[in-house]
Amino acid sequence: MLAEFVQHVVNGLILGGGYALMGIGLTLIFGIMRVVNFAHGEFYMLGAFFLYTLFSLAGVNFFASSALAVLGVAVVGAVIERLVLRRLRGQAIEIPMLATVALSVIIQNAAILLWDPSPKTIKHVFSPVPLTLGPVHVVWIRVFAGLIAVALILGSHLLIQKTRIGRAMRATFQDIDMARLTGVDVDRVYMFTFAFGAALAGASGALLGAVFWVYPAMGDLAALKSFAVVIMGGLGNFLGAIVGGLLLGVSESLGAGYVSSGYKDAIGFVLIILLLLWRPQGLFGKRSVSR
Amino acid sequence: MSARARWTALGVAVFLALPLAGVDDYYLHLLIMAGLFFLLAAGMNLLLAAGQLNLGHTAFFGIGAYTSGLLGLSFGLSPVVTMPAAAVFTALVGAAVGRLTLRLRGAYFVLVTTGFAEVIRLVATNWMDLTQGPMGLAGVPPFDLGSARWTLVSKREYYYLMAVLAGGTLYLTARLLGSRVGRALRAIRENEALAESSGISAYRHTMLAMVVACGLAGVAGGFYAHYITFLSPELFGFHNTVTMAVMVVAGGQGTVLGPAVGALVFTYVPELLRMAVFYRMLLYGVILLLVVMFMPRGLVHHLRRRAVAPADAPETAGATAEFAHGAGAMAPNGPVLAARGVTVRFGGLAAVEDLSVELRQGEILALIGPNGAGKSTAFNVVTGFQAADAGRVELGGRDVTGLQPYRVAERGLVRMFQRTSLFAEASVLDNVLTACHRLARTRLWQIVCATSASWREERELRGRARAILEFVGLGARADALARNLSCGEQRLLGLAIALAPDPSVLLLDEPAAGLNPVETERLMRLIEAVRGRGLSVLLVEHDMKLVMGLSHRVIVLNYGRKIAEGTPAEIQRHPDVIKAYLGTEDMLAHA
Repeated sequence: MLAEFVQHVVNGLILGGGYALMGIGLTLIFGIMRVVNFAHGEFYMLGAFFLYTLFSLAGVNFFASSALAVLGVAVVGAVIERLVLRRLRGQAIEIPMLATVALSVIIQNAAILLWDPSPKTIKHVFSPVPLTLGPVHVVWIRVFAGLIAVALILGSHLLIQKTRIGRAMRATFQDIDMARLTGVDVDRVYMFTFAFGAALAGASGALLGAVFWVYPAMGDLAALKSFAVVIMGGLGNFLGAIVGGLLLGVSESLGAGYVSSGYKDAIGFVLIILLLLWRPQGLFGKRSVSR
Repeated sequence: MSARARWTALGVAVFLALPLAGVDDYYLHLLIMAGLFFLLAAGMNLLLAAGQLNLGHTAFFGIGAYTSGLLGLSFGLSPVVTMPAAAVFTALVGAAVGRLTLRLRGAYFVLVTTGFAEVIRLVATNWMDLTQGPMGLAGVPPFDLGSARWTLVSKREYYYLMAVLAGGTLYLTARLLGSRVGRALRAIRENEALAESSGISAYRHTMLAMVVACGLAGVAGGFYAHYITFLSPELFGFHNTVTMAVMVVAGGQGTVLGPAVGALVFTYVPELLRMAVFYRMLLYGVILLLVVMFMPRGLVHHLRRRAVAPADAPETAGATAEFAHGAGAMAPNGPVLAARGVTVRFGGLAAVEDLSVELRQGEILALIGPNGAGKSTAFNVVTGFQAADAGRVELGGRDVTGLQPYRVAERGLVRMFQRTSLFAEASVLDNVLTACHRLARTRLWQIVCATSASWREERELRGRARAILEFVGLGARADALARNLSCGEQRLLGLAIALAPDPSVLLLDEPAAGLNPVETERLMRLIEAVRGRGLSVLLVEHDMKLVMGLSHRVIVLNYGRKIAEGTPAEIQRHPDVIKAYLGTEDMLAHA
C-alpha cells in the first residue's frame, strides 16, 4: 500500500517538474510582459518535435539534440516576440492574448503538415531497466527528466537572481517606467523573457516527450495544465509556479491511481476551484488580484 | 424617421427577404450558424465591455445544448419548453460560476474560465450514463412549436426562428449597452475604483452581464440541439470559444453590431478556406493573427471611423438647473461624517492610530500632515476602500464601517481621487453621466423594454450632467474625449464626476496637486461654491494657501495620529504642528 503510494508520489514529482518548467515560463512571460501566452503549449510541442527530428530522424546525439531543441524553441519565441507581440504592446490584455491564440493555431497546424498527426515515440538512449530504490521503481529516462527539470529550475532561479539580464527582468517586473529610466533596455528584456519562457516550455516538452508520446496536439493539455499551475501559484510568481507544478503533478498521479484516470486532467482545475474559495489571490499571491 | 431607424428597417427587411430571394439551403445554413454564433458572441461582448473575457463561454453553450437535448430525449418535452428551461438553467450555472470567479480580474478570470470549460468537457466525455461520452447523443428531436404537427423541417423555417432569436439578442444588447448598464460596464473596465466610488457595483454589473451572456448561450445551445439533433463533447472544445472571441474582437468589441458583423464574416471565412484543403486551418490561424494585429478595434470601428457621434435628444433641464438636492438632507444635528477611533495597521506599523474626525454640516475641514502621515489611508477607510482594524465610521449618524465603496457612495459620500482619475476613453459628458448612476431609479426591465420612464430618466440625467459640467466650467468640452483634456480640465472633470452622484459629503484628495496658481484659484472658488450649495467637504491637501484660505477647521496628522485640531489661525501657531513640519517658514510662507 505504502509502496504504491510512494511510487505515485515519485511519478507525480517527475511529472510535476515538467509542469513547473511550463509554469515558470508562463509566469515569467505574464509577470514581465503582461501577456497571457496561449501558444505556450505549442512551445512545449515544438521542444518535443525538435528533439524527435534531430535525434530520431537526423541521428544527432541525444543530449546535443535536447540542447539544440530547447535553443530552437527559444529562437521561435524571440522571433514571435519581435514580429508580433512587440507591435501589440500597450493594447488591452485580450489583444496580445488572442494573437497568441492565433499563433497557437498556426504553429499546431504547421506541425501537422510538417510531421503528420500520428503520435511518435522517441527511442531514447536510456536503459529500460528501472532504477530500484526499495519498493520504488523509476525508469532511467524519468530519472533523467526529473534531474534535468530540477537543474533547469535552479538555473532559472540563478539566472533571475544573479545575472545582469535577470536583474533587468526583475526591475522591469517591478516598475517598467523606472526600469527604463535607469537604463534598462526594455525591448531586450521582453525579447529575452519571451524566448526564455518559450525555451522552458520547450525543455519541458522535450523531457516529457521522451517519456510519453510526441504529437502535434500534445500542447493543448499541457498548456491548460500550465494555466492551472500559474493560477495556483499566483500569476507572476516564480516560487508559486514551482510549488504549483509539483502539487499538480502529484495530485494528478495520485488522482489517476486512486480516483479515476478519466478525470485525471480535471484535477488541476478542481484544485483551483477549491483554492479560489479559500485564497482568491493564489497560494503565494500577496498583491490584490485586481491587476 | 432617423437614419438609425432607416438602417434598422433596411437590415430587418434584407434578412427577412433572403430566403424568399432564392438563397439556397447551404447559405441559409451558414446564416443560421452565423446567427447562432452571434448569440454567443453578443454575450461574450457584454462581459468584455466590463473587461472580463470569458474564454470558457462555450461551456455554457454546451450546457444549454445538453440540457435542452436531454430534456427532449428523456422526457419527450417539446423544445418550446426545453429551450427556455435550458436558458434558465445555463443562466443559473453562469451565476454560480460568476459568484466564484467574478472577483478575479483580467488574466485570472480568463484562465479560470478556460479551465472551467475544460473540466466540463471532461465531465461530458466521462459521464457516460448521462451524455454517452464521446459517442455523443444522437436523435435529439427537431424543433417544434409545442406539438409534433408543427415541427420545423426546412432550413427556411429554422432560418426564421434564428432570425427572431438573433433580432431579439441584437435588441437586448443594444438596450443594455446603450443605457446606464452599458455605461457602468465600460466604467468598470476603464477605472474600477472610480466606478465604485461613484456608486457602481462592479460585482453586480459583471454578474448581470454574466447571467445574460450565459442565458443567451443557453438559448443558442438549445437551438443547436434541436437544429443539428446530434450533440458531442466537441461542443465544449476550446476552438469554439476562440471562434466566438475572434468574432467579438474582429467585429468590434463594445459595439452592438460588432459581434453580428464578426459572426457573419467568421462563419463565412472558414467555409471559403475549405478550398485550401490541407492548409485550411493554417490559413485560418494566419487570418486570425492578421485581424488581431491590424484591426484590434474591429471591423465596425474601421467602417465608421468617420461617423460622428449621434446627436442626442435635447435635454429637459437647462444649464442652470439645480443639481444638488440631496445635500443637507441628512443629520440635521450632529456631524454629517464621523470617524471614531479608527486604526489601520500595515504589518506592525500603524498607518492611522485611534483617529477621530468629525465633519460638520456645511463645513470645509482640511486634513493635513507630512507625507506618510496617514491622510490617504484615513480617506480610504472612510470611503470603504480600506478595512480598518479598529474604530467605526458614521455617515449622517448611520454606521457605514466596512461597507463596500459603492455602498458608501450610495449613502451620499463620494470621493475625488488623488491624481487625476476619470474614464479616459469616454466623452466628458459620458464621464459625468456614468457617475450619475446611483440617481437612476428605473429598473432593468424598464431599460430593456425602453419604457417612456427610462427615456425620461435618461434625458433628465443628461440634463443634470450638462448642468454639472456648466458649473465646473467644462460645458463647452462636453463632447471631447476625457483623455484629450488638459491637466487642469481633467481635474475639473474629476470634481464634476464626484458631484454627479449628488453627494452630501465630498472628499477631495489633494485636488490642487499639479495645478498652476490660476487653476488652483479657480478650484478654490469651485469648492467654496460647492459648499455654498450645502455640501460638506473633507479635504486632504498640501497646498497651504488653499488649505488656510478655504477651510473652516484643520486637523493635523503625524505618524498616523492627530496632533492638532483647530481653525487655520490656531493651527499655524500650534507648536507641535510647527515641529512636525520642521521649518516653520515652509508652512507660513505658503500661507
